[in-house]
Amino acid sequence: MEQIAQTIIIGIANGMIFALVALGYTLVYGIIELINFAHGEVFMLGSFMALVLITTVFKLTADTPLALMVAQVLIVIAITMLATATLNVSIERVAYRPLRNAPKLAPLISAIGMSFVLQNVALLIFGPANDGVDRILPNVNVLSVFGITNVTISAEQVFVALVTIPLLLALSWFVTKTRQGKAMRATAQDPDTAGLMGVDVNRTIAITFLIGGALAGAAGVVQILYNNTTVWNLGFRFGLNSFTSAVLGGIGNLQGAVLGAMVLGLINAFSDRYLAANWTNAIVFAVLIAILVFKPTGLLGQQLADRA
Amino acid sequence: MTAAPSLTGDLRTGVLPEDAVIVRARGVTKRFGGLVAVNEVDFDIPRGAIVSLIGPNGAGKTTFFNMITGAYTPTAGEISFDGKPLITKSRSKVRSKKPHEVTALGIGRTFQNIRLFGTMSTLDNVRVGLHVHMRSHWWDSVLRTPGMRAEEQASIDRGMELLELVGLETRAEVWARNLPYGDQRRLEIARALATKPQLLLLDEPTAGMNSSETAEMTSFIRRLREELKLTVLLIEHDMRVVMGISDRVTVLDYGEVIAEGTPVEVRANPRVIEAYLGRGAAAEA
Amino acid sequence: MTAPTSPTKPIQMGVIGWLGSLAEAAINVPSAYRQNFRRHPRRTIILTVLIVFGILYPVLNREIFQPWNRQSSFPLPFPEDAVVTFMMILSIMAIGLNIVAGFAGLLDLGYVAFYALGAYTAAFLASPHFGSVSVVLFSQVPPGFPGIHLPFWMLVPLGFSVAALFGVLLGAPTLRLRGDYLAIVTLGFGEIVPVVFKNLSAVNFDFGPIHLVNANLTGGNLGINPIDPPRFFGITFGSNSGIAAVYLGMILLVGAIVIARNLERSRMGRAWMAIREDEIAAEMMGVNLVRTKLLAFGLGASFAGVAGVMQASYQGVTTSDFFMFSTSILILIMIILGGIGNIWGVIVGALTIAFLDKTFLPYLGQRFQAIDPNLPNPSQFNFLIFGILLVVMMRFRPEGFLPSRQRAAELRHAPVGQAIGSAAVMGDAALASEEQADTLAAAQVEAVEAEEAADAAEAPEAPHDDADRPRDGT
Repeated sequence: MEQIAQTIIIGIANGMIFALVALGYTLVYGIIELINFAHGEVFMLGSFMALVLITTVFKLTADTPLALMVAQVLIVIAITMLATATLNVSIERVAYRPLRNAPKLAPLISAIGMSFVLQNVALLIFGPANDGVDRILPNVNVLSVFGITNVTISAEQVFVALVTIPLLLALSWFVTKTRQGKAMRATAQDPDTAGLMGVDVNRTIAITFLIGGALAGAAGVVQILYNNTTVWNLGFRFGLNSFTSAVLGGIGNLQGAVLGAMVLGLINAFSDRYLAANWTNAIVFAVLIAILVFKPTGLLGQQLADRA
Repeated sequence: MTAAPSLTGDLRTGVLPEDAVIVRARGVTKRFGGLVAVNEVDFDIPRGAIVSLIGPNGAGKTTFFNMITGAYTPTAGEISFDGKPLITKSRSKVRSKKPHEVTALGIGRTFQNIRLFGTMSTLDNVRVGLHVHMRSHWWDSVLRTPGMRAEEQASIDRGMELLELVGLETRAEVWARNLPYGDQRRLEIARALATKPQLLLLDEPTAGMNSSETAEMTSFIRRLREELKLTVLLIEHDMRVVMGISDRVTVLDYGEVIAEGTPVEVRANPRVIEAYLGRGAAAEA
Repeated sequence: MTAPTSPTKPIQMGVIGWLGSLAEAAINVPSAYRQNFRRHPRRTIILTVLIVFGILYPVLNREIFQPWNRQSSFPLPFPEDAVVTFMMILSIMAIGLNIVAGFAGLLDLGYVAFYALGAYTAAFLASPHFGSVSVVLFSQVPPGFPGIHLPFWMLVPLGFSVAALFGVLLGAPTLRLRGDYLAIVTLGFGEIVPVVFKNLSAVNFDFGPIHLVNANLTGGNLGINPIDPPRFFGITFGSNSGIAAVYLGMILLVGAIVIARNLERSRMGRAWMAIREDEIAAEMMGVNLVRTKLLAFGLGASFAGVAGVMQASYQGVTTSDFFMFSTSILILIMIILGGIGNIWGVIVGALTIAFLDKTFLPYLGQRFQAIDPNLPNPSQFNFLIFGILLVVMMRFRPEGFLPSRQRAAELRHAPVGQAIGSAAVMGDAALASEEQADTLAAAQVEAVEAEEAADAAEAPEAPHDDADRPRDGT
C-alpha cells in the first residue's frame, strides 16, 4: 500500500516537470500547428545550463546555508529561463518562420533537424556520459512532520511543486487576463483575422515561443535539483512524455496539458516500478498512438480537422 | 443508361414515376452546429434532363451538391441514385456513401473553384478520372503484364478522345496549371466525363467567362446531354445560361426550396424575385 | 508519362505476350540509348560513365584503390566493400521511403521498423536461433542442423511480405490522420518495434498449448547471430566473401528501381500524384483514398523489409541496436537531399549520405587524429551535420538537388490550388496570359519528347520521328 502511495507521489512530481515542458508543446501547436520537435532539447539544454550555474558559478552544495541557497536557486531559475526563452525564440526565427507558407510538413522536418543539431551541440560540449550533481536540497521527509514515516514526500518534491504551481498560475493569468494573452488566443483561432484586427502575428508567435522556452528552462532547473542528473539525449524521453501529455489532454488546451502530464507521470512511475524501465518508453508511445487513433481531440480538447 | 425521355410536361419533384428519375432526394437536411444550411429539401432529377439549381449566395446549393456526391453526410433525409440508396440510416446514425463510391456508381462533378491536379499534364488529369473504372492491380503494374499495358494504352486513347471532345487534344502534355482559365474549366469537365457518369454535376461552369465563352459552354452542355445521354445538374448564377438550357429550375433560399418549374415559370415567381431583389442583388431577367 | 500516339499494334495477351514484350524492351535498349545520346550527348555520356564506374567499382577497388591506399602515405576515402553493400541496402530503403513520402506524400518517421522486421524475419528463418527445431529447406546447411534455415531467395519475398503486412496493419487505422499526426504515430511505431525485439529475450508465457519459460525469442540485447549468408550457384554472398555481396546488393537495387518505376508509371502512380496534389478532388474523381494510401505505405514498407533481409544475411548478425530513430531520419535526409519524388534523385542522395556517414566522416576523423589526437572526431557528430543539412535544405532547397519536376513546382510556387482558384477572379486577365502559357507549353513539349525517348525502351512501340508529332497550338 505504501508502495503505491509512494509511486503516486513520484508520478505526480515527475508529472509536474512534464507539465512545464508539455505547455511549451501545446502553446506552440495551438498557435502555428507545428510540433516543435526541438522543444525537448531546449529543456535538456536548460538543465545543462542550470547544472553549470549550480556547480561552477554558484558552487551550490548541500552545505550552503538555506537562505543563500534559496536566493541562488531563484537566480539560477531566472537566468536559465531567460536563456532558454531566447533559444526558443531564435529557433523559431531561424527554422520555422521562413517556412510559414511552406507545406505543413516542411517545418516539421526542419524541427527534427533542429532537434538533432541541439542534441549534438550538447554532446559536443558536455560529452556522452550522464552528468549530474549530488543532492543539494535538504534530505528531509516533509511527511515526517505529520508523523508519517513509511511514505516520503521529499524536500525536492516539494520544491518541484513550489516552482511549478506558481508558474502554471502565472501562465493561466497571462493567457486569460492580459492583452497579449488574448492576442495569443486570437491568433491560435484564426491568424489571418487576428492580423486584420491589429494583432502583430509575428510578435505574438515569438512571445509564445518565449513563454514555452522559459517554462522549459524552469523545468530544466527542476530536473537538475530533483532528479540530479542530465544527459545529451534527455530531451528525447522528456519530449516524448510531454508531447504525449499535451495530446492526451487535448492539444492546444493548457489545462489539458497539465492534466495529461499528471497522467503520464503516473504511467511512467508505475511502469518503471511494476514492469521494467525498458518497456516504459514503448508504453508511452503506445498510449500516444492509441490517443491519436481513437481520440485525437484528447480528454479536454477541441475538434481539429481530420485532414490537413 | 435509359434513353432520354420526352422532356416535356411537368418535371417537378414528385411528379414523375420512380424509373424516370435518376436522383431522388427526400427530406434532406444539413446542420452545421446551430446553422441549418439545407432544410428538408425534396429534389428529383429526371433522367436526361438538364436541371438548374439557383438561389442567392449562401442558399445551400453547393452544400446540397456535396451531399449528393458524398462529401458531406446529411443530418437527415434520404438520397437515392439510379434506384440505389446513397444515404442509409442505421440506429439513428446517418451514413453516406463515400465520394469515391458515389463516383463509381456514376456521378461526376466539377468544382466551383477549379481543382485540377496542377503539376500533372492535361492528359494525365483526365486519366485520373479513368482510374475508378480501371482494373489493373499493383502487381500487374509492377510486372507490366499485357493486360495492364493494354489498359494503359486504352486509357491514353480514351483520354485523347475526351480531350478532343472538349477541344484540348493539342494541349495534352501541358501541365494543367499552365492552361488558360477557359481551358482549365473544359479540362475539369473532360476529367469528370472520364469517370463514365450518368449524372454530371456542374458547379458554376461559366463563372468568370465572357459572353461568347458562356454561349459556347451552354451549347456544349446541351451537346453533352444529347450525344452522351447524360443527365446534368447545374449550379448557376448566370441567368442567360439557366434560361437557355434548363428543362427545369429549382430555387433555393436559406436552405429551402422556394420555387420549382420551367425557367419561364420560375422567372416570374414573385417569391423568387423577392429572394434576389430583397437581398440587393439585381435580378438578371 | 507516355505521350499520345497513333494507333499501335495490338498487344499480345498471356504469358507469351508478356515475355514477348520483355524481349522487345530488351531489344529496344540500344536504339533508345542512341536516341538519348543524340538528344543529350553530355548528360548521356556522364551517366554512362558513372554507371559503368559504379558497376566496376568493387573490382577496381579491390585491385587498384585499396592496394594503393595501403601503401600510400596519404590514403583516399575509397569506400570499402562493406560500405558499398550498405550503400545498396540504404538505396533500396530510400526508394521505398520515396514511394511513401515522395509519391504519395505521407511522412513516415518510423520507417526503420520495417527494416527491423525484415532483418528479424531473416534472422528467425535462416539461423540456428530456434535451436529446438530443425527445418532445412533448399539450403546449403546440412540437414538436421538446429534452427530454421530457408534460402535467401525465399527470405526476400518473405521479408517483403512481412514488412508489407505490418505496413498495412499500421496504416489501416492511422492513414486517415492528418500529416503531422501521422508522422508522430509512425515515429512511435518505429520506436516500439525495436524495443519489442530488444525485450523479448526472457519471455514467460503460459496460455493454452503455449508454455514458454524464459524463452529467448528475439535474442534481446545481443540480437541473433550467426545468420546464414546468402548462398547460391556455389557462391557465398556474406560479409566475408569479398565483392560478391556488393553485386548481390546491386541486383536487388536494380529490382527495386524497376518496381518503383513501374509503379510510378501506372494507374497507381497517377493516383498517388493526384492525392498529393489535391486529396479531395482525387476522391471526387473516384480514387479510394484509404486503399491507395495504404498501398503506398505497404509497398514502401516492403522495400525496407527486403533491405532488412539483405542486412541480416550479409552481416550475419542483427540486433535491435541497429534500428534506431536516427536511421529513419538518415533515410529521410537521403531523399530530401537527393530529390524527393525522383527515383534517381533519392539514389544519389542515398549514395551521398552513406558515403559521408560511413566513409568520409570516419576518414576525416582519422586525418584529424593523425594531426592532433585532441581534435573532435567528425564521425561522432554526423547527426549534427545531418541536422543542419535538414534545416538548410528545407529552407533553401526543399525539392532536393535532383528534383522531380512536379515537386519542384509544388514546393517553390504558390500552392497549386491557389494559383488555379485565383484564375476565377482574374477571368479575362487570365486569357491574356494565353501567350505565356503557350510558350511554357512549347517548352514542356520539348521536355516531354526527351522523356519519350527514354520511354521507348519500355513501351512496345517503334520509336517514331518526333517531327511528325502535332505540336502545341503555336
